[in-house]
Amino acid sequence: MHASANPAPARGTGEIVVEARNLSKVYRDFWGRSKKTALKPLDLDIRRGEIFGLLGPNGSGKTTTLKLLLGLIFPTSGEALVFDRPATDVAKNGRLGYLPEESYLYKFLDAEETLDFYGRLFGMPPAERQRRAAALIEMVGLTRDRKRQLREYSKGMTRRIGVAQALINDPELVLLDEPTSGLDPIGTREMKDLIIDLKQRGKTVIMCSHLLADVEDVCDRIAVLHQGELKELGRVDDLLRLTGVTQIKASGLTAGCQDEIRALLQRHGAADVEIGNPRTTLEDLFLDIVRDTEARPGRRARRSADTSSAE
Amino acid sequence: MVLEQEIPQFSAWIGPALLAYLQAAGFVTLAAALLTWLVQAVANGPLPAGDRVYRGTLAGLADIARPSVRRVWALARLAIQESLRRNVLVVLAVFALIVLFAGWFLDPAAVEPARLYIGFILGATNLLVCAVVLVLSVFSLPADIKSKAIQTVTTKPVQMAEIVLGRIVGFSLVGTCLLAAMGLAGWAFVVRSVRHSHEIAAVDMAEVRGDDGEVNGFEGRTSLAMGHRHRVVLDAAGRGDAESEQGHSHAVAAVTGPKGTAYEVGPARGLLEARRPLRGTLRWLDREGKPATKGISVGAEWAYRQYIEGGTGAAAIWTFAGITPDQFPEDEFPRGLPLEMIVRVFRTHKGDIEQGIHGTIQLRNPASSLRSVAIPIVAREKSIELLWIPRRIDTVREDGRLEEVDLFTDLVADGRVEVWLQCLETGQYYGVAQADFYLRSGEGSFLVNYAKSCLGIWFSMLVVCAMGVMFSTFLSGPVALLGALSTLLVGQFRDFIARLFESQVSGDATIVPGGGPIESLVRLASQESITLAWDPTPAAQVIKALDTVLLVPMRLLAGIFPSLATLGTDDFVAGGFDIPAPLLAAHAVETLGYVAAFFVVGVFCLKAREVAS
Repeated sequence: MHASANPAPARGTGEIVVEARNLSKVYRDFWGRSKKTALKPLDLDIRRGEIFGLLGPNGSGKTTTLKLLLGLIFPTSGEALVFDRPATDVAKNGRLGYLPEESYLYKFLDAEETLDFYGRLFGMPPAERQRRAAALIEMVGLTRDRKRQLREYSKGMTRRIGVAQALINDPELVLLDEPTSGLDPIGTREMKDLIIDLKQRGKTVIMCSHLLADVEDVCDRIAVLHQGELKELGRVDDLLRLTGVTQIKASGLTAGCQDEIRALLQRHGAADVEIGNPRTTLEDLFLDIVRDTEARPGRRARRSADTSSAE
Repeated sequence: MVLEQEIPQFSAWIGPALLAYLQAAGFVTLAAALLTWLVQAVANGPLPAGDRVYRGTLAGLADIARPSVRRVWALARLAIQESLRRNVLVVLAVFALIVLFAGWFLDPAAVEPARLYIGFILGATNLLVCAVVLVLSVFSLPADIKSKAIQTVTTKPVQMAEIVLGRIVGFSLVGTCLLAAMGLAGWAFVVRSVRHSHEIAAVDMAEVRGDDGEVNGFEGRTSLAMGHRHRVVLDAAGRGDAESEQGHSHAVAAVTGPKGTAYEVGPARGLLEARRPLRGTLRWLDREGKPATKGISVGAEWAYRQYIEGGTGAAAIWTFAGITPDQFPEDEFPRGLPLEMIVRVFRTHKGDIEQGIHGTIQLRNPASSLRSVAIPIVAREKSIELLWIPRRIDTVREDGRLEEVDLFTDLVADGRVEVWLQCLETGQYYGVAQADFYLRSGEGSFLVNYAKSCLGIWFSMLVVCAMGVMFSTFLSGPVALLGALSTLLVGQFRDFIARLFESQVSGDATIVPGGGPIESLVRLASQESITLAWDPTPAAQVIKALDTVLLVPMRLLAGIFPSLATLGTDDFVAGGFDIPAPLLAAHAVETLGYVAAFFVVGVFCLKAREVAS
């Protein structure tokens, strides 16, 4: 299946960062017998500066797609191009950053050593390595723990240092595999803010996740995979927009006013009219509580005005 | 020391060796390419398979051709950090324990204490360093693949060649540091354990008077040290040597002072030395005095030494070349040519077991046939005897008169001189090998020689490290360890396998008696002697044919597998001989060849592997 919401830019202009053509992967056993079709032939273009989400349940082929794009596994058929180079060409790696699903790092190194090591792999000069490592450690909030070996880190801390290593080379393309996995709500929010920030700085981000809210919050375009097959591809706004349904939001309406509006809508033939208080998300509620608690330590958190009014 | 093969000059073998290496590399490459193509052809068809093999080969070669020094160093540092965090330095504590216990169990009164201590220390160092580096190298990459940390590395601009090379460099550096620490501690241990001094009390020495009542010299013995004492014989001037014990002797001098005569005993000679021998070539004469291809076998299974019969015309003759006054200047060799020799004895009757067997040494000019007078010697076995051949020496003229001649002018022709060894006692035999007689042309430093031997261990460690990393690119840690150990085991027997194959193909059972694997098994099960030839029954012929088929791959593998034993040079140090530079050069080239081969194979294996699957 080849789908694209907008006309794709011409190849070779540099606007298409990642390209998959008829890309498929079949895992085989020792004797070469087909064991599992992880990805059915996939066509995909990912453009410069967008946040692209690979969405799907566990085992849908998201991570396989990411690994194929990174050249970590070899395709059974088709090809993957990253920056117009074959995915198996390591030269492309100089321009990308990758956060694996569980931050596969060396547990015997501390945070500074980790970033120094990966910086060396990019051939960064010592001064730049130091500066960049310090900035990234500060950014992911590990300054106090920078001398501790990663084996002592919690899952969330490991995730943070994983993000830092993915950004050590200030990459043009960032591939994130389940970026919010293992993070608490604050960490999740910070991760999502970081992804949006990367986009604002002109980076291209590809993330795969099965957490729908995360994808919805940050992605410009998504591809929905199921059982190794591309089921849907397009802009998030377009895919989620319910045409034929109108939503009106207002505050300070009395009960009488609401009845008048309902009557007006029904007079105009509106069907399925619902009037009530909208719900906030649990994530927003939690973040409100945490912020309030930090602002007023030792006191029970105040609910925000919007939340109270909805009660 | 035993030197079964001559050490050829570097220039004499490097060309043919390179050719053989390239042939072996070509053979292995072709075999690997064919195997890969076959596997790919089954899955994808012959043409795509050929295309993949071609592309894969090009990609692998490109990978190998341009490793980044920075990235290799980064990965090497990681390997070092990994080793340190895995407490690799504990091995130093283990070594310290071994050394401490060695002090208890090694007997300083042994026949050759230097050989015992040096052999033990270098052996322990070799074993520990190679074992640690092997374990580190086989488990590192599989652990990375299992923990998936390799995925984070391979998604950086890192070539597979850099991953393999980084590990080889890193673990080799760890091994080098361990070796340096152990080598230094081992050297200190050996020196402290073996060095000793004796004293001679005046009461332990007695005057030796001639028939005329004049004092001809002094005789006595030294004090006991390290389980031995020396008999001392001094001349009338009070100078002389302590007799050789435990492979060494001491210079002794009488000093007369106001309190009487005291005796000064010098440091041990022949202990912790690095002799530089000038070796000759050996030929034989039989009991009739006619040329023979070899000496007599006295039935020893190890045919290293051949024997000459006493009281007959049999002789062992060494021809030394390069004997010039420049090679042996008078200021350095005032006493003449230092001939050192080890002469073994085979007795057909016991005689006085405390006494050695008498024989003679003669020098002969190979051009004019002029001979020196026979110099008497006594073969004491095991110990190295030093015989100074004087610069002015008596020769026997045709008319039977003695004439003193100049050694270098009259007995040396074009730098060549012959040394004849004959046994005088009827019914007794002298046993010698070519390396048993040599002229001691110089002296090296023991410390440098010890360091050279550590260099041999370093070569072994490099081979083990590269091999471990190579196996770890396509096998899990335990299986890689097993693979590496099996390879080393086959390598240890590679000479035997080569001789066995030769024996099997040529049908000459004297090369290796007992036949190939199946024949040996049958003989073992039926408790049949290996020297008993089989009748050519159909069953015997089938077994021999199967053995030949089995031995072909074994021979091929034995030809390319490394033998760590051949890289070892501790026998030189333990025997007190300087390790020759051509030998070190040969070992360096062999090591480089193996490391390069293992590196290339490792890169291709890792490149062909899906590290994230």
